[in-house]
Amino acid sequence: MGPVRSLRRSNPLTIVVGVVLCIFIFVFLLSPSSADSAASKARSANAASNPLSPPTSPFRKQNEKANGKRKPPPVVHYKMNNVTSTADPVGNRETILILTPLARFYQEYWDNLLKLTYPHELITLAFMIPKNREGNAATLALQEQITKTQKTGPEKHRFASIIIERQDFEPPLSSQSEAERHKMENQKARRAAMSKARNSLLFTTLGPSTSWVLWLDSDIIETPATLIQDLAAHNKDIIVPNCFQRYTDSKSKDVKERAYDFNSWQDSDAARKLGEGMGPDDILLEGYAEMATYRTLMAYMYEEGADINTEVPLDGVGGTALLVKAEVHRDGAMFPPFPFYHLIETEGFARMAKRLGRAATGLPNYKVYHYNE
Amino acid sequence: MLPRHTAKSDSYSNGYPRAKEKNTYSISPHRFQPRASPPALRRRRQLLIRLGLLVGIGLFAFFVWPGASVVPLLSLGFLSSGEDFQLETVRYYDLSTVQGTARGWEREERILLCAPLRDAESHLRMFFAHLHNFTYPHHLIDLAFLVSDSKDRTLGLLSELLEDLQADEDPKMPYGEISIIEKDFGQKVNQDVESRHGFAAQASRRKLMAQARNWLLSAALRPYHSWVYWRDVDVETAPFTILEDLMRHNKDVIVPNVWRPLPDWLGGEQPYDLNSWQESETALALADTLDEDAVIVEGYAEYATWRPHLAYLRDPYGDPDMEMDIDGVGGVSILAKAKVFRSGVHFPAFSFEKHAETEGFGKMAKRMQFSVVGLPHYTIWHLYEPSVDDIRHMEEMEEERKAREKEEQDKADRMKKIKDQFADPNSQWEKDKTDIQNEALREKKEKEKAEAQNVVETQVPADSKPETKAEAKADSKVESKADAVKAQ
Repeated sequence: MGPVRSLRRSNPLTIVVGVVLCIFIFVFLLSPSSADSAASKARSANAASNPLSPPTSPFRKQNEKANGKRKPPPVVHYKMNNVTSTADPVGNRETILILTPLARFYQEYWDNLLKLTYPHELITLAFMIPKNREGNAATLALQEQITKTQKTGPEKHRFASIIIERQDFEPPLSSQSEAERHKMENQKARRAAMSKARNSLLFTTLGPSTSWVLWLDSDIIETPATLIQDLAAHNKDIIVPNCFQRYTDSKSKDVKERAYDFNSWQDSDAARKLGEGMGPDDILLEGYAEMATYRTLMAYMYEEGADINTEVPLDGVGGTALLVKAEVHRDGAMFPPFPFYHLIETEGFARMAKRLGRAATGLPNYKVYHYNE
Repeated sequence: MLPRHTAKSDSYSNGYPRAKEKNTYSISPHRFQPRASPPALRRRRQLLIRLGLLVGIGLFAFFVWPGASVVPLLSLGFLSSGEDFQLETVRYYDLSTVQGTARGWEREERILLCAPLRDAESHLRMFFAHLHNFTYPHHLIDLAFLVSDSKDRTLGLLSELLEDLQADEDPKMPYGEISIIEKDFGQKVNQDVESRHGFAAQASRRKLMAQARNWLLSAALRPYHSWVYWRDVDVETAPFTILEDLMRHNKDVIVPNVWRPLPDWLGGEQPYDLNSWQESETALALADTLDEDAVIVEGYAEYATWRPHLAYLRDPYGDPDMEMDIDGVGGVSILAKAKVFRSGVHFPAFSFEKHAETEGFGKMAKRMQFSVVGLPHYTIWHLYEPSVDDIRHMEEMEEERKAREKEEQDKADRMKKIKDQFADPNSQWEKDKTDIQNEALREKKEKEKAEAQNVVETQVPADSKPETKAEAKADSKVESKADAVKAQ
């Protein structure tokens, strides 16, 4: 009876099961990402099929067809009615674009970025780097860190997409040293160039799906890890934390901190009068003894131990750290590179936003830290 | 009939030996051989195995061959996550390579074509005819459409037409990146000609238009664009080479002259876009008197600005390359370098120096020291949509025409009646005349035929060649036919 049994043992059912198993093995082998984390799933779902896609999403490398024929890009619909910016950005899976005009690369800045707890697959980074020797050095340093994070770093550190742009105009000053760039006569040209850099960066990277824009200067080296969630929770059109700087006192050798950004302020009658007496191309500047504006500066509103969620209305904002709803920029609020109501750059931006019916808010007790040179 | 040995009690009826028998493995040639028994079963198994193999190969081909890399297969999926090998997350752009030059098509400079749409279904086919005809390399043009607050089938038709365009057989036809952006601004303003051009609605309408344009631009502008071209869908006639023609001037912002054709009774043609103008002292003085949020709009008696308009300076025979510096621009067809928009110039949705939208755009570009130029003798033609007045006038004309037709009909009827009542001598005259003519004709014919016969008869004896004989035969045939006719 033996030989007959051995022939009958492999009945059709076992073969079918085997084939099905084979299929499963193939599927899992060839698309391993489907078995990976939800984050990477979201990543590949957002990926565009063409490099001519909004830079805020990753794209699939194109396999050149054998016959060398180019496949025309697809017709893509973007439903911008569904792009929201709410107080719960993580819950609503809102994408954020972090924009940084980069003159020098600080390792602390990058480390601080990696520490942010906002889901990294919802974060796109974009940098604008001038085309000079310093810029080249910064680019190299930045690219090294990017490769480290995006290729070999842990999955949860990887950002959705990173854009590096090189500026198409020379910065007006060859030196970016702190003393030089804060001279009053240099301010207008410097800040006009800065505005152009910011605008170029903003309008080429914003894309159709961004919900929030976070402006973060390359010398901001310390922020709370929940910076984005904390600022967004206030659900304001424009919101600014208070920018401080840690320094070592030359006498006592203690580490102390001092206010750094004086561009966030509430307007004063004195400043308004000063502006009225000016020519159309003159600008009002803050923090210079020659020009007493008597504005209320947010830098000095800080109170030790007070509620960090205290809000104050602002008329001018600084750009060191600044969270803006994308729709404010989309409506046209940009950084004027020319005197706009005698204001320029970020201060002019606050003014333009106001003309478009958007208000700016400050958080005097919520601190971020600037690099000390 | 069963073989004899099956009757033996030590085996089954099928010839299989019973278990108790000792010679289990003995092979007897007389026995029934069960091994050869289930060929059907084996065949089925083989079929299944082959099917399984086929499915396996098919799967392999499907996943590996066309697109995916073999790496995850060979590494058994252990080498990091396979999908991430395919995903590119870092982009690098050098903006100094996308400044925009006079001969962009030679340097493969990309253009972003922006078209804001609202209830534009009826114009779409015309617009796509223009798209088909552009001579600038299509794959260098990216199309971006903003569809907002549309109640008709603009969106559906647009996607259909775009899909067709991208699937075109001709490899030169498909365009670059194509984005359709859907965003509603909750606009209450009507888009018909009358409400669109009424003075009171202008300021808020222009601000909303500006907002739409800014949303479109900020969503579609990329770091690789050198130029941005704004085009309204209701342009009826424009040169196919318009992109190259405007680009050749190498200006930061440049607009052609926009006119529209009119029915003959309205004068044949008319300047259409009055938003392209040069600033005047009067207008600047006027601007100073207005409050912060006021918007000066051109072409209305309420604001007499005395500005030189691009539209009115047109000479049909003038040099199409002539340039004119302007301060405000119209939005029907604007070609601008992308760096203008990158540096922050946009369409103010607020009153910027007392102007909004495209006029404010021109003002802001000027404020940032960009060159803003119009071409007074290079004209494109906007579609003519009759206004309510025009429609009324046309109705009047139609009625007039109908009345005239009716009158003529009446007249004709009257004449006919008269003719019927009084016997018309004309017909009799005509009849007689034709009879006489016929008679004369017949006589003439007979005469001619008789002559022809004579000629043939004289020729035949003189010439004896076979061909001529045949000819003569043919001739005589004709004659006999003619005779037959005569006989009738």
